[in-house]
Amino acid sequence: MSGRVRTRIDRGTGEIVAYSDAAVRNNMAVIEYCRTSMAALSGATAGMLGLTGLYGFLFFFLAGLVLWVMLLLKAGSKWQQYFVSRKSLLTSGLFSGLFTYILCWTFLYGMVHVY
Amino acid sequence: MAELLLDSDIRIWVFLPIVLITFLCGIVRHYVSVLISTQKKVDLQQVQDSQAMIRSRMLRENGKYIPKQSFLMRRHFFNNEESGYLKTARRPAAPQPMTDPNMMVEMLKGQLTNVVPMIAIGGWINWTFSGFVTTKVPFPLTLRFKPMLQRGIELVSLDASWVSSASWYFLNVFGLRSIYTLVLGENNAADQARIMEEQMSGAAMNMPQDPKAAFKAEWEALEIADHKWSLKDVETDVLQKAELELPIDIQSYANTA
Amino acid sequence: MAVIWPKLIFIFGILSLFHAGYSAAQHRTYMRVTEQEFISLPTDIVVQGLLSLVLTMYGILHIAGDFKEIRANVQLQNKSWENVGNRPMFYTFAHRGRALSPNYVAPQSKNSLDGMESIAS
Repeated sequence: MSGRVRTRIDRGTGEIVAYSDAAVRNNMAVIEYCRTSMAALSGATAGMLGLTGLYGFLFFFLAGLVLWVMLLLKAGSKWQQYFVSRKSLLTSGLFSGLFTYILCWTFLYGMVHVY
Repeated sequence: MAELLLDSDIRIWVFLPIVLITFLCGIVRHYVSVLISTQKKVDLQQVQDSQAMIRSRMLRENGKYIPKQSFLMRRHFFNNEESGYLKTARRPAAPQPMTDPNMMVEMLKGQLTNVVPMIAIGGWINWTFSGFVTTKVPFPLTLRFKPMLQRGIELVSLDASWVSSASWYFLNVFGLRSIYTLVLGENNAADQARIMEEQMSGAAMNMPQDPKAAFKAEWEALEIADHKWSLKDVETDVLQKAELELPIDIQSYANTA
Repeated sequence: MAVIWPKLIFIFGILSLFHAGYSAAQHRTYMRVTEQEFISLPTDIVVQGLLSLVLTMYGILHIAGDFKEIRANVQLQNKSWENVGNRPMFYTFAHRGRALSPNYVAPQSKNSLDGMESIAS
């Protein structure tokens, strides 16, 4: 168990909340894992469906939104136990998977629709 | 624009092999780098120095919670002119990174596992699969991307969204990086070792290169640190609070302590 | 791992996705061979692709691992002072309270203690 702790003041109640650094990092790793998988899989799906141009990018953001909802569903009603903020869960690192997405998209599009 | 029709043999014998080769080479490279990397040795002296620095910093920050006598005693240990730790410690000057043979070997290994395979495989792919139009990106691109995506085929009339085999290789090299973390797990090469080290030595690895200068700075900071005891009236405070709200809210004390 | 369901779901989703992709490629080839204009994929392939994407993501979400509680003091929240202030180092059992135990055998006489002391010395 890591003894390192980060503190931050809760805006609502004004009390100081201490966050365990190791747990925060663990959750971040889980989210990163899901995000990368989602980028790869949604890229593959987009390529398979033959989406082109703007529709493909729209699909990427749609997939990000779906992933966000799924993460919240997984966390359940006690999301405050696991994340500092719900909104940052959606926005942070949204674009990190874009390159993976484009690669998978291009790959599957080439496999299915070009030849 | 007339739709190009590519031979589906290109798909099986060029398009797919490039992806597979890039992916498998990345995995092999990962394991090779795990094999030849050496555990970074922690210098005992260095750990001692950094722990002393941490102690000194904690004394400066939290010294107000101990009595003046204790504070002075601890400062004496660090700062005494004759026997203080920060004064007497004699450390050699920082070594030059280039002359350190260990550093050289490390750098060489990094080069060996990163740059050399990329050039070698890239060259080989360029040679074996040269001059194929492999795929088409599913979004329109401007002409500016043409030299980037169509390396190896100089066709002026070809639309910019077609990708040549060499460029497809480079796209794979850059795009597959995050897939590796997925496949190889979070304990990717150097990652695991770094976390272990951090746990063991307690962030002591972040010692600055030159301990002499760091010691001098710490000595100065500690010398001007003023002791202001913050627990002066703590007994009366606690008793007052206890009188006000009985039973005592133990939890709040346990948290602040 | 005790639960194998997420992995099965994940594998099934991947296979289904692959199958949908293969069907799409077949459809494309068929259209080309019969020289029909390709407009869009059949609905069943689209639905299958999207469904398998959702299914796979569901599997991934459970494979990825559980979240951890990030508030550091949540374990301490419900503890009483008896737990927090427990100091096992200061436990002492060799006190007179042992005489209250029903199994307690009182030392025979002072002489026995004397005898022990003589052995020790």
